[in-house]
Amino acid sequence: MLQNEIRTQKLVIGIFSILLTVVLIIIAGVEAKRTTETKPVIEVSGINKRCVSCHTERGIAVKAIDQWKESQHAIKNIGCIDCHKAEQGDFDAFYCPDSDILVGKHPTPKDCAECHKQQVEEFAQSKHAHQFWVIKNDDRSIFEPTIATRNGCEQCHNISIVWPDQSVGECDACHPKHTFSRAVARQPETCGECHIGPDHPHIEIYLESKHGNIFRAKEKQMDLSYSSKDLKKIPIEVPTCTTCHMDGNETQPSTHNVSARLAWESQAAWSYRTVWLQDKLGDWKVKRGRMESICKSCHSPDFVEVYFLTADLVNLQYNEIRRSFVYWVKKLQKNGLIKELEANGKKYSDIVLNGWDEEPEYLMYHAWHHEGRRFRHGAIMMGADYTQWHGIWELQNDLVELIRWAAERGDPEAKKWVNSTHPSKFMPYAIYDIPGNAWGINALSNKVQFLYVNYKDYWDRVYQNVKYAYEKGLLSEEQWQLWLKRYNNKEHYLGTKYNVDSVYAYYQQLNAIDTKAMNEQVVNMQLPGKPFYEPGFGFMVEDNKAKSKDMVRRKEELNNNRQGTTTGGSVK
Amino acid sequence: MNQMQEKKFSERLPIDFKKIAEVILNEPIPGHMKNWFYALGATPLVLFIFQVVTGILLTFYYVPSPDLAYQSVKYITEEVRLGFWIRGLHRWGSNLMVIAIFLHMVRVFFTRAYRKPRELNWILGILMLITTLGLCFTGYSLIYNQLSYWATTVGTNMIKEIPIFGSLFLRFLRGGETVGVNTLTRFFDLHIGLLPTTLFVLIILHIVLVRVHGVSRLEGYEDDEIYRFYPEHMYHVAVIALFLLTVMSALTVVLPPGVGEPADPSTTPLHIKPEWYFYWIYFLLKYLPIKLGIALILVALIVATFWPFIEDILKKKFPKVKWHYIVGSVAIVLLLIFTVYETIIY
Amino acid sequence: MEKETRREFLEKIFVRVAGLSALALTLLNIAKYIYPKISPPKLRKVLIAKEGEIAPGEAKEINFGGELLFLVNLGKEYKVFSGTCTHLGCKVRWEGHKQRFFCPCHKGIFSSDGKVISGPPPRPLDEFKVEVDREFVYMWIEEKQSGRTI
Repeated sequence: MLQNEIRTQKLVIGIFSILLTVVLIIIAGVEAKRTTETKPVIEVSGINKRCVSCHTERGIAVKAIDQWKESQHAIKNIGCIDCHKAEQGDFDAFYCPDSDILVGKHPTPKDCAECHKQQVEEFAQSKHAHQFWVIKNDDRSIFEPTIATRNGCEQCHNISIVWPDQSVGECDACHPKHTFSRAVARQPETCGECHIGPDHPHIEIYLESKHGNIFRAKEKQMDLSYSSKDLKKIPIEVPTCTTCHMDGNETQPSTHNVSARLAWESQAAWSYRTVWLQDKLGDWKVKRGRMESICKSCHSPDFVEVYFLTADLVNLQYNEIRRSFVYWVKKLQKNGLIKELEANGKKYSDIVLNGWDEEPEYLMYHAWHHEGRRFRHGAIMMGADYTQWHGIWELQNDLVELIRWAAERGDPEAKKWVNSTHPSKFMPYAIYDIPGNAWGINALSNKVQFLYVNYKDYWDRVYQNVKYAYEKGLLSEEQWQLWLKRYNNKEHYLGTKYNVDSVYAYYQQLNAIDTKAMNEQVVNMQLPGKPFYEPGFGFMVEDNKAKSKDMVRRKEELNNNRQGTTTGGSVK
Repeated sequence: MNQMQEKKFSERLPIDFKKIAEVILNEPIPGHMKNWFYALGATPLVLFIFQVVTGILLTFYYVPSPDLAYQSVKYITEEVRLGFWIRGLHRWGSNLMVIAIFLHMVRVFFTRAYRKPRELNWILGILMLITTLGLCFTGYSLIYNQLSYWATTVGTNMIKEIPIFGSLFLRFLRGGETVGVNTLTRFFDLHIGLLPTTLFVLIILHIVLVRVHGVSRLEGYEDDEIYRFYPEHMYHVAVIALFLLTVMSALTVVLPPGVGEPADPSTTPLHIKPEWYFYWIYFLLKYLPIKLGIALILVALIVATFWPFIEDILKKKFPKVKWHYIVGSVAIVLLLIFTVYETIIY
Repeated sequence: MEKETRREFLEKIFVRVAGLSALALTLLNIAKYIYPKISPPKLRKVLIAKEGEIAPGEAKEINFGGELLFLVNLGKEYKVFSGTCTHLGCKVRWEGHKQRFFCPCHKGIFSSDGKVISGPPPRPLDEFKVEVDREFVYMWIEEKQSGRTI
């Protein structure tokens, strides 16, 4: 009996030993999984130690010190004075209070260039550094008070600041001091600080694109602080703004010249192929090639090329729409219906760009500066809604309004346009097109457009236009070949040679049911209680009349009283 | 060792180890002790040994200074290999020890094992409980994070209210006006020196008394079967030890010891609370005027300490009433209510 | 003594193996806790000068992490020496005109590349690894462990 009990107890000991062993193994596992990440210890020595201790003591810009401690600068032993050093006579030199330390208040790109020479040079050759807003400044110079410009335009366009030391640019516009974080510079919102709003909604376009959507969904898993020099692979799954416009991949070095990969001047009043520093950066084809080689990190070459060709045709189409706008305002000006602003022999508005006292000038400004850009930039950066509703829709509205304005002012041609009932009237300009799109073959969508359903020579005319653009150098040889490939096989790309009638019929049926339901439910009904307003003789019921009379009386009294007090005041 | 050597050895160290071993190992144990509930006395002992071992290991890295205490705890928890395990064992060990002692007391109380002639051992037990709680309190304050810092401040402030010696005692503990460097070093001394030594001596006395008196028989079962301490009861203890180590290790993985915010003497955090085993005190102080609360606690302590004698007096007056059931149940219910209430309302 | 049955024997083995493994693991874990992990020191490079800042044959005093160091341009290469004399720990000074480091305490003299020329120092000045990357001169330092910073 007792012997048995001891045996059981021994067994229990054995079982618990096993249990303990298991738990201990788990603990060892937990231990092994723990990563002890050691942060580098920041040494502050020499003159920087004096900066840090004094600033901390006096509580001046203490956060800046904390930020600096997080920076790569701190890790590499680059301290306060390395950037804030100054020489006697420098425009920003001053002695730190109660000390003999000469400090530069504004480190400029010249200071950054001490180490980041290449980046500063690249930046200076980009359109970020271009002071076009000072060169072409009508709206700022006449339409807005300067104080607004200080806080508005100037804050963003400060990125092209020209410093007294002749260096150009503002590095901390994107690399916020004093962490100078790469990750922050790569965050889309950094670009979006300025590239936002009605005239260039790039952050909005990005966020509505597939790129932006995936970025938002997976942002937390992505580390944007990587270094992209040395032709390394792109380490993140989905691009942010900088991935395409600045960062490198296996084929492209990273660049601080945001203009090095752009093929269009699509912010301008007309879309034209860029010639920006082309002796240094290459022509637009070279620049486009850079961009494409980034795109091709993730996308197939065919997709990228078709996509850009489609977007390029949007830019070209914009020019044709604009041509109509320009035609009309020039005619209106010739006929003396609109005038430019002028003072001391200098013009302060430009009928083909802006001017703020006549309707057509407004329309011109918006059709270029707002919807015109949205139309083009939406197309080139996958912002469908910006190409569509914020873009072409508003552009067309502007055009219709412009012609109607002319008709109201008696222009015979405009009147004719207004009175025309032909559906082609909305496209009084030449047309570009491409069979199909980059996303796939849509066997249905090409059955509706008026022009190419009704004009047998639709594609012939388009062919001529595209060919002309190619011959003018607005499209490359490869693009022309790509276009021809689609043109020669357009039944395939347009999907018209595929029969999907049965599918279509099914959805037509469903549509018929929907329409019927709508008609039955709400369209064909009339409420029995009449509306209170009747055309011709709207009247008030007696009761209301009395009430309103009362109100009018009281209001008068109130006014009288107020006048009484003010006059009384003045008498005293 | 052959006999010659043995003889030489015992000549130089004339202690009869065999005899001692025999006395210790052959201790007769009443049969009812086979029930696990009756082995609870060994649990705190096992835990005490664990605490000593893990405690010594913790001092390898712990630095008792306000500047470094928190950092070194963080270092142990986050960087030292298996540091979180050792610290977790120590922390869970302290919690389980309070529970084990409490259960042991409950068992002793309801079986009236403290009755004549074992009153002294009950008093020793109460002293051990107080020492253990003292260890818990000082240990908690050593972490030196926000919670433990303020728990220490509040806890030591209570001492001031003790009649006559209160403020003297407070200043002895704190070594200054507020909790600071001196408090930390004093608490460290108490925690690793004075209190464990006291507890150790008390444990020895407690066991010696148990052995000298013999394990108490259950009332009404005076003649149950007897077995030897070794091997059965030893196995019991071994199982308990293994079980505890397993449970505490597992708890460490599931609920690892945290570090919290470093102590900041200039801001009191929004929610401060002592460890759960002080909730009843916390409750009394929250809802009663402080003097009354302290007085009540002191009275409770005195009654608990001298309960065996008090019961005798009561018994003489009301021989029929089972006082220990009434008082025990009321005490447990009150403690539970206070603790649960404080746990729930946070 | 009774003869052990096969089952009893297996049970005995089971209990012993289990007990031993638990004991061994516990002790192993405790040993791991006691002996701090010695990981290879992490190295980090810090910028100490730009090329052209120091003429050949010149030296620059560097203060890094409370340590006095000297960066010497030896013409074809740069070297960084600790400013602490290898004799008894005084700080040496650079004497440009004599192209040497001089320790005032016991008149130890080191050449511009750190070797002992005369005096009691037992070994050359301690040296740090230097790297020149484009126009920047870096020095490699050992990363301090963040746990014990003070």
